[in-house]
Amino acid sequence: MVQVRDGPRVRARESILIAIGAVVVTALAGAALLLAGGYDPLAAAGAMLRGAFGSWGAFTSITLVRSVPLILAGLAVALAFQAGVWNIGAEGQLYAGAIAAVWVGLVGGALPGVVLVPLVLLAALGAGCLWAVVPTVMRVRLGVGEVITTILMNFVGIYLAAYMVHGPLQEARGVFPQTDAIAEAARLPKLLPGSRLHLGFAIAVVLAVTLAMVLSRSRVGFQIRAVGASEAAARVSGQIDTRRVLVGTFLLSGAIAGLAGGVEVSGLTYALYENLSPGWGYTAIAVALLAGLNPLGVLVTGVLFGALQAGAGAMQRDAGIPAAWVGVVEALVILAVLGLDRVRRLRGEGA
Amino acid sequence: MKPVLARLQGIERRFGSVVALDGADLEIFEGEVHGVLGANGAGKSTLLAVLGGMLAPDAGTMQVGGESVALRSPREAWAHGVALVHQHFTLVPRLSALENLALGRGRCTGLRGEAERLMERTRLRVPLDARIEELGVGDRQRIEILKALLRDPRVLVLDEPTAVLTPEETEGLFQLLREVAADGRGVVLVAHKLDEVLRVADRVTVLRGGQTVLTGTAGAHDIDELVRAMVGSDVADAMALGLPDVTTAASVPGATVSDQEATEPIVRLVGVGVKDGSVDRLSGVDLAVRRGEIVGIAGVEGNGQRELALVLSGRQKPSEGVADLPGGIGFIPQDRSIEGLVADFDLTENVALALHRDARFSRGPWLRWDALGEAAGEIRSRFDVAAPSVSTRVQALSGGNQQRVIVGREIGMASDFLVAENPTRGLDVAAAAFVHQELARLVAEGVGIALVSTDLDEILGLSDRVCVLAGGQLVSVPEGERTRVRIGALMLGGSGA
Repeated sequence: MVQVRDGPRVRARESILIAIGAVVVTALAGAALLLAGGYDPLAAAGAMLRGAFGSWGAFTSITLVRSVPLILAGLAVALAFQAGVWNIGAEGQLYAGAIAAVWVGLVGGALPGVVLVPLVLLAALGAGCLWAVVPTVMRVRLGVGEVITTILMNFVGIYLAAYMVHGPLQEARGVFPQTDAIAEAARLPKLLPGSRLHLGFAIAVVLAVTLAMVLSRSRVGFQIRAVGASEAAARVSGQIDTRRVLVGTFLLSGAIAGLAGGVEVSGLTYALYENLSPGWGYTAIAVALLAGLNPLGVLVTGVLFGALQAGAGAMQRDAGIPAAWVGVVEALVILAVLGLDRVRRLRGEGA
Repeated sequence: MKPVLARLQGIERRFGSVVALDGADLEIFEGEVHGVLGANGAGKSTLLAVLGGMLAPDAGTMQVGGESVALRSPREAWAHGVALVHQHFTLVPRLSALENLALGRGRCTGLRGEAERLMERTRLRVPLDARIEELGVGDRQRIEILKALLRDPRVLVLDEPTAVLTPEETEGLFQLLREVAADGRGVVLVAHKLDEVLRVADRVTVLRGGQTVLTGTAGAHDIDELVRAMVGSDVADAMALGLPDVTTAASVPGATVSDQEATEPIVRLVGVGVKDGSVDRLSGVDLAVRRGEIVGIAGVEGNGQRELALVLSGRQKPSEGVADLPGGIGFIPQDRSIEGLVADFDLTENVALALHRDARFSRGPWLRWDALGEAAGEIRSRFDVAAPSVSTRVQALSGGNQQRVIVGREIGMASDFLVAENPTRGLDVAAAAFVHQELARLVAEGVGIALVSTDLDEILGLSDRVCVLAGGQLVSVPEGERTRVRIGALMLGGSGA
């Protein structure tokens, strides 16, 4: 008898159905809210679509560029959630990565690009990882829930960045709360001529494919999923060091979120300033959940949320709807995914 | 004829593609104890959940107290006088026993006195002020029963209440159930041990494949007839039925192992102790298990069995002493849905849980899912797991089939030694017989087995040697003293040696 292993395929299909359902629910609820506010939902949608996909330039230079930090932070969140680590701290880890990347990019100006760019990215990875150390230790040593600790570390990260741009790393002129631009050699190359799309997008795609392979096909990926699906069963199996898996996944998740910050400064802004991130670390939770925690799905949902943010500007301009409305949409998506996933579980439970 | 308290007719219920109930009927008369029998997956728990308002049926009618009802929640079931004692516990771990009883009743005035009187009357004793998370499974079960009784139900429904009780407590519970019934109520009881059900039930209903295949007065049907109705064939294992005349391992062909092999210990614990904070869960445990023997470790739940099973299986390091263990160890944990399996994983992934570090199933850091799928397929066919494919999520399987997956997987791991912790708890006749056969076959192949069980019949039926674990200390029972009474006394912490 031929054994076809289509369990994962079944799960992927369920995730896609949930995602489609969540998008539909969000669109309907969002339209209802817009109507209640006296806006025209169709005009809003039209403006948003034009802003995000209206031209090749808009798509690559705005939508895809916006999606890079969302995909990277989304991957960080998806990986952690797969292991049952509720890392809500991508925002703080992202800022830690951005600070480290800018610092290396400022002091390493004498180095050639082939050396400096990897150093910048490594610094971002390391700083993000470091930012996850305290919550990790508190979780595995003291049993303190990481939801609270990672959220608290976000504030530390955000205000550390603010302190840096007002203090030690402030630009030489001392006028604006921002750093000087990093060295040319520390900047990521552009992917397309005439576009703002940078190497960070390729890094995000490669990382997503790698993580998808690791989670579905490798031994360590299986261990991560097993710990996430049932820590008790993983531990009692006698084959999995659950503590090691938790620590490793948590720190790797922090590192990837840090990379999101590093890629943003070395690929796009070339400098650190306050409010560098409009909450990417939180939006990443919606990105990861809508993707069913599947790294390849994160590529799609990351671009979707990138389009949402890209379209928000156009929506404000053309339809007079505040861009902050995008935040409402993100929250609706999370609620819809969690609700629909719960429905799936309730219906799937057997005798 | 006595009035009908509850009548379920033509009940159907499916979960996805799995049909759990396919036209089941059940009638409860006033003043009777009614036993519900059936193999695993026959739909007993589902039928009780429907009666208790936990699940809505897809089709069929329900009458309680003469009126047609649609019970959409446990609250509605209570309102109609139906109280369900769950197989899986529904207590709040952080609250005390008394607080949990209050949850079941809604008001607290005079509750302590009432609870104490009830405990006195029912002989179900629990520490009222202890938090649930500090209590063992036995205490939790007693609290569940007390909680239901405090509600003063017209129909009391118990799903497998005796699995974790001592023989005395079981007797006490049965007497209590008879009193409850005599008081003008109805009692519905699911227990997998036929002889237990027959001891207490006035009438029985047998389910098979989600349908009622037999119903009638308990005395009118002999055991053979009931077993045939349950399993649909003549397969019956006297052991699993809990019958007194038990013959097992010794009678299996090839069970004898040469003396030389038999004297070689494969597992040796010396002075093993396990501390949990400042509490000694195990202390000074010496134990040797040889190839080709089953060492039965009896005891009342919560006397260190959990810790001993974890140490023996290499899952936990002892805080004192030495545990000398072989390489190939299999472990059948008692909580199959939480510790034995990952509910959201399919069959293949659950088999991979044990095998994923085996060189046969990997290439470098990558897993060979094709080979793992084949291994799962072999377990599925050899151990007769009723699952559509190896890609089926195990949460869709019945308890018996889940246990087949675990037993198949862990027997594969147990090239030297197997630790089985309450391996037949909550299983029906056929599934329990299957597990016992597999243990007997394994030990005949020269594997050593430690059988940690609260089920005395199981211990006495299968074991070559018997030890009793009481208060974290292990006492060996000499061959001449292996009687239920003697072991029962040791289990309850009576005079040791």
